Amino acid sequence: MRDIIRKMAATGIALLYGLWSVVAAHGYSFNQIVPDVRQPASASGGSACPVPAHQLTAPGSIAVQWSTVLGTNPQTILTNDQTPTGSLNEIEAVIQQSRGVWTGVAATSLTTSSLGPLTRVASANICGSDGLNSICFDQPDMAFTPGVLAFTRVITADAIGIQLGSVVSSEVGQILDADIYFNPSDSSVTFATPAALSANPKSYDLESILTHELGHTLGFSHSAVWSAMMFPFAPAPGTFTGVRPTTQQPDAPLADDDRTGLRTLYSDPNDTTYVGSIQGHILPANPLSLPTAPPGVTGIFGAHVVAVDVSTGNVIAGTLGGWSCQAPGPAQFDGSYLLDHLLVGHTYSVYAEPLDGAVSPSDVTNALVTLCRNATTDPGWPPAQSCVVPPVNQQFTTRTRPAP
Amino acid sequence: MSYVQRRRFLWVLFLIGIALIAIVANATTLARLQFYQLVQHSSAIARVRCLRADTRLDNGEIWTDTVFEVVQHDKGFLPPEIVVRMPGGKFQHLHSHVDGVPEFRPGEEVFLFLTGRPGRQFYIVGWTQGTFRIRKDMRTGMEAVTQDSADVPVFDPQTKDFTKTGVKDLRIDRFLEKLNKEIYRQSL
Repeated sequence: MRDIIRKMAATGIALLYGLWSVVAAHGYSFNQIVPDVRQPASASGGSACPVPAHQLTAPGSIAVQWSTVLGTNPQTILTNDQTPTGSLNEIEAVIQQSRGVWTGVAATSLTTSSLGPLTRVASANICGSDGLNSICFDQPDMAFTPGVLAFTRVITADAIGIQLGSVVSSEVGQILDADIYFNPSDSSVTFATPAALSANPKSYDLESILTHELGHTLGFSHSAVWSAMMFPFAPAPGTFTGVRPTTQQPDAPLADDDRTGLRTLYSDPNDTTYVGSIQGHILPANPLSLPTAPPGVTGIFGAHVVAVDVSTGNVIAGTLGGWSCQAPGPAQFDGSYLLDHLLVGHTYSVYAEPLDGAVSPSDVTNALVTLCRNATTDPGWPPAQSCVVPPVNQQFTTRTRPAP
Repeated sequence: MSYVQRRRFLWVLFLIGIALIAIVANATTLARLQFYQLVQHSSAIARVRCLRADTRLDNGEIWTDTVFEVVQHDKGFLPPEIVVRMPGGKFQHLHSHVDGVPEFRPGEEVFLFLTGRPGRQFYIVGWTQGTFRIRKDMRTGMEAVTQDSADVPVFDPQTKDFTKTGVKDLRIDRFLEKLNKEIYRQSL
């Protein structure tokens, strides 16, 4: 705490004060998408303000298929039950459990009923841009280079009425397809189910990696909070993230930052407990220190703003601040931040830090570089709704002032 | 509890926290590669300058092809311009994204550890791990190199210590010395 205070008292000034009627940098690092305002307002909404990528949460909306074809040479998925049927059941239980981690968070619109069926497909190459969410354990992909264990491809629509496979977007930012690929061809990489992990200490925990990747399929980018499931670095072989889920607490592996992010992304309109918010600006003491290009930058961009529950000392939420947007857009880089869906009745301390720790801007690229579109990126883009994302400001230190 | 005790207690908590973090030695999608492994897995290593990026649809997937001018190559043979392919990008109304993929701005100079063959697209070994950004100090003109994944602590069970093995703010001459030394060592 002393370090934080010392750091915050260093050279810059963070002016933390309230703002009204401005939508600030939403999200705890979500993948953002700018609607295509070249389309009629009926398709784009007419605003160039970024919207977070998200799934629909109506009953049965989020179906997943998984390939039962597992790599055998090398064998990449290790299970406790070695029989073919038992092995598949064990893997399927991990997938179900990992999905349950996310639907187990209280006060969100993402519930168990949002999940569609989990189906098996006896074909290796089911991952692709087909409008079906898939998990593949034995599908080669050109993106796999040495060291790449797994990744998730998420495809989002920037307008209403966009078709991918049999899915047609009904909202801007709707995720149309999200596929998880596990590396099938690296002989040095294996994944083990929780039941098999202790016997295979050199394997990666399938459940931890799957839960993290499923977070991407819901629209999360990475989090800069070290305890978060969406922190971009997975546990070392033989270990797992947080604690295992239980029937009593299915979301146990998640950190509060993940839960707060999920409540922000999939807010429950009937919730009355997680309705607190903290918002403000991160501004430099000397405006001349701001970048001159692109023009219009009036605040610190890309600061990691963190809320800590004073009573417990726990990090409750962290967000990447630095921008705001009011319809019809575009995004303004004014140093705004918003920490939303906090538990009411608690006291929080807030601090801002540069993104120069274990998480760097490259880890959260999709949450930062996709905030703007312009005529260079998209021919014919209206100038009035154009902007250019400034570089992330990593050269500041902060101190706080009380709200006016 | 005295101030000293409290301070000691906080240190213990801090170290436990670090221990919990430091077992996080591998990226979600990435297994930690040491510098020598990056060199070993690379068919080419070069200092390149980003020229432009294009999005393509290939095999039903969206890819971003970034064109780089080769400024100097340290390992392997490379033509004057190369194309580095990464998953994700924007194609018509579809936005495909993969977290953890490095992106580049036109004009930016980086060292890339590449796998692939001339005449085809190259891929970056270990994504952020094979990406080393070059930053120039405007006052001194000195260049320094920082690996995208530089700040992840790694626990060494032998020394029971935590180290950040990534390259961060390393003077470019030192970086090249380290690189060339490793390339030479592997050529023996």
